[in-house]
Amino acid sequence: MPTVEAWAEAFSRATDSDAELGAHGRHFSCTYMLDMEDRRVIVDMHRGKVEYINVDPAPLDAYQFALRAPAATWRGMGERVPAPMFHGIWAASFRKGLTMEGDLLVLMQNLRCLTRQIEILRETGVPV
Amino acid sequence: MAKGRISPVTGHYVTIEIDDPDLGGEYKVFYLENGEGRPLVCQHTAGCHNHQWRDLLEDAAITKDYRVIAYDLPRHGKSDPPNDREWWKEEYELTADFFTRFIVELCDALELEDPIFMGSSFGGNVALQLAWRYPERFAGVIPVEAAAHSPGFFLDWWQHTHANAAQVCASGVWDLMAPQSPDQDRWKTWFYYTQGSEAFRGDLYFYSVDHDLRDKLEEIDGEKCPVVMTTGTYDYLTTPAMTAATAARIRGAEFIEMQDIGHFPMSENYPVFRQYLVQALEHIEAHLGATV
Repeated sequence: MPTVEAWAEAFSRATDSDAELGAHGRHFSCTYMLDMEDRRVIVDMHRGKVEYINVDPAPLDAYQFALRAPAATWRGMGERVPAPMFHGIWAASFRKGLTMEGDLLVLMQNLRCLTRQIEILRETGVPV
Repeated sequence: MAKGRISPVTGHYVTIEIDDPDLGGEYKVFYLENGEGRPLVCQHTAGCHNHQWRDLLEDAAITKDYRVIAYDLPRHGKSDPPNDREWWKEEYELTADFFTRFIVELCDALELEDPIFMGSSFGGNVALQLAWRYPERFAGVIPVEAAAHSPGFFLDWWQHTHANAAQVCASGVWDLMAPQSPDQDRWKTWFYYTQGSEAFRGDLYFYSVDHDLRDKLEEIDGEKCPVVMTTGTYDYLTTPAMTAATAARIRGAEFIEMQDIGHFPMSENYPVFRQYLVQALEHIEAHLGATV
């Protein structure tokens, strides 16, 4: 398992060099939390690139929406080829205890790019 | 010498009248077809259109024995909303009554004898409804990715004015496909879904609300109208367990679990789907041969 700092660096690099996000991400700007039970991070996106990943959020650090799931669910989503029901945030929300919280309109407005970015976890793994 | 490849698939329009208090009217319906033999009538998934069946329509090993017909449900693809209703003043919510009447009227208009009906997702659910309501009209049904009840997908997000509905619909169903399915086919399916967002939410009224056969399954006679259900292991909406539980309560029904495929099997990975489809067709034909 990578350290959270190493993971954040790899996730940023993979996001910023991703061809699909490069082609379609110029309006992909939002701030969201990944709550992995044992570890929480806040990802700040600006025009399709990672602005900053906060790997040690303080209680009042702001974000627009959160994806929360048990660590085991995130580990499944971080497999190169995820098993059934671990293969995306919608699948995991129906069957593996993932919840979408906060301003879901922002999530929906960025859904195409967010879906792709979450799949990058299959390349980087997860820090839990 | 022609430089292109011209497909044997042809497109046609047929205009039919549907008697229904909520959604009735005159409908101009588009369908694609290819092949000869027993009609195999194919329904696309909610918010989509008949190109999901593109590979089946050109599968010579199937079309040598079956007349494959893939239509666009009204308000989808090239099938218009009703000609004689001010549909833009109404909220669209598809019902089981209209959906089943439409399919029977279409089969009657095309003078189809002993067709097999196959549909996926809401098309699979309506296949169950047809087996329950009109068993004498069909030689058999193949409900794909279906269950007696499939709640949870009738959402306002599909048509929210503050989000890009085309992308919400298309990326909202992305996870319904298996990661093993080819990128080219998954992205075609995604592309089709960007084209149907105005109908998707209303279709899902049928899928998640109006369709509920939980207390009717024992009334379906799978001996009279054979039922072969298939579901992919990556379908999170109607899981294989849900489909198996549905099939177990239908007399004579079969269930086939499809490995490493999702909710749009005919569109996301046809080579994998076709091996299960062949099993389903063989089962129905064997049953029909045994009962002639």
